[in-house]
Amino acid sequence: MKIEAINEQLLRAIGVGVALLDRKSLRFSFRNDTFDDWFSNEAEPNQLQELFPDLDADAMQTALADNGRYASEIRFKKKRRTLIIALDFTSTKDDVLVLVCQNITRIKELESMIDSYSMMVERNTREIKREKEQVEKLLLNIMPRSVYEEYKTFGVVTPQLYNPVSVLMLDFVGFTEMVASQDPSVTVTELNDIYSAFDRIGEQFGCERIKTIGDAYITVAGLPDPTPDHAKAIANTAIRFVRYLNRRNLSHPHQWHCRVGLSSGSVVGSVVGIQKYVYDIFGPAVNLASRLQEFSEPMEISVQGEVAHVLKDQFDLENIGVRTIRGFGEQEVWRLSDSS
Amino acid sequence: MAERTLYEKYGGFSQVSKIVLSFYDTLLDNDDIGPFFDEVDMSRMVDHQTKFIASLLGGPASYTDKQLKQLHSHLDINDAHFDELEVVLRATLIDHGVADEDVEAVVAEFAKRRPLIVG
Repeated sequence: MKIEAINEQLLRAIGVGVALLDRKSLRFSFRNDTFDDWFSNEAEPNQLQELFPDLDADAMQTALADNGRYASEIRFKKKRRTLIIALDFTSTKDDVLVLVCQNITRIKELESMIDSYSMMVERNTREIKREKEQVEKLLLNIMPRSVYEEYKTFGVVTPQLYNPVSVLMLDFVGFTEMVASQDPSVTVTELNDIYSAFDRIGEQFGCERIKTIGDAYITVAGLPDPTPDHAKAIANTAIRFVRYLNRRNLSHPHQWHCRVGLSSGSVVGSVVGIQKYVYDIFGPAVNLASRLQEFSEPMEISVQGEVAHVLKDQFDLENIGVRTIRGFGEQEVWRLSDSS
Repeated sequence: MAERTLYEKYGGFSQVSKIVLSFYDTLLDNDDIGPFFDEVDMSRMVDHQTKFIASLLGGPASYTDKQLKQLHSHLDINDAHFDELEVVLRATLIDHGVADEDVEAVVAEFAKRRPLIVG
């Protein structure tokens, strides 16, 4: 067998469609088996535009004149499958056009699949991100951000001593009766409004709300970041809590009256519990604030002696005398009033 | 930890993509179900099969029942078509080395959707 014959057989058998055309008339002078396999039809067109009516012949001739090459792509249905073939024309010296066709159907199908898959994954990623933000928001509701960061990084929170801080303990007068005598859902809705308002007020003065237990609300100044004027911050917060309730009572049928206690000292803050964890604070300042609150008449603020001495130049404070406080012995108790 | 899905067990996208393509090829050549895809654009069809297989294997796609019902409502699909698709699905999974009990689990998932698709 001659070498030309072998070449021709190879050309016929390869998986790439090959055809030769006359540059001017665009008539086929040779088509290999693969080409015929893809493009043969009953009419057996012998001219390029008859075979590919969608091909832009002018663009092709221009490109061929410019750089001797032209590439395009055609799509057609074979049975019900869309075939996509890349066409590559190269002109040779003697006015012969070489057309090489590659079946890129699989590549296009894979591209579509990757598109589809990446869209799903991106959507899922967005959903996961949203969920993560929700979880973060929830956790930030129950612990300070710095504690949350520690929890996120190490999975545990080391108990930390904060000294000094000021603690505010607030309790509502007659809450139990209110729950019993009114629609509980109305009471809880109102409590929710009030706590939300307290949170906003506390935030203005740099207080961190620690928790609420039923009708008791505890917030702290000086935690987690130390604040030099924590006592002033807690006093301002307490005054505005009372002011807010007074104003609210003017326009609401249900009257809410609180007792407040303020004290300073050290507390330990930590996450407690493993499955159901809460962030909580422990220490004498918390207990004292709670006891002082019991000395308050409705809508009054009782203040620990040491705190009162720090505040008395700037706030309206009155010494109500020495009281015996369970667990703390004899202590001076002061009354903080709203001077405005 | 969440349980590992079949999608993860069989190698995630890089392996499942092979199942999808082979399923796609078989469907197109099948003269019972293939005609439903005569007029469907290639990329839409691939998209559909990618999500179909992924959701059956617990991968990153899920159609709600309402979506499935709506997407098939304009097609005249009968029980014989659904049975045939089940055959194709089963054969494709077996061809790709999916273990018998997992094939059954996937086919069972598929069978659950019958009332949404047929009718």
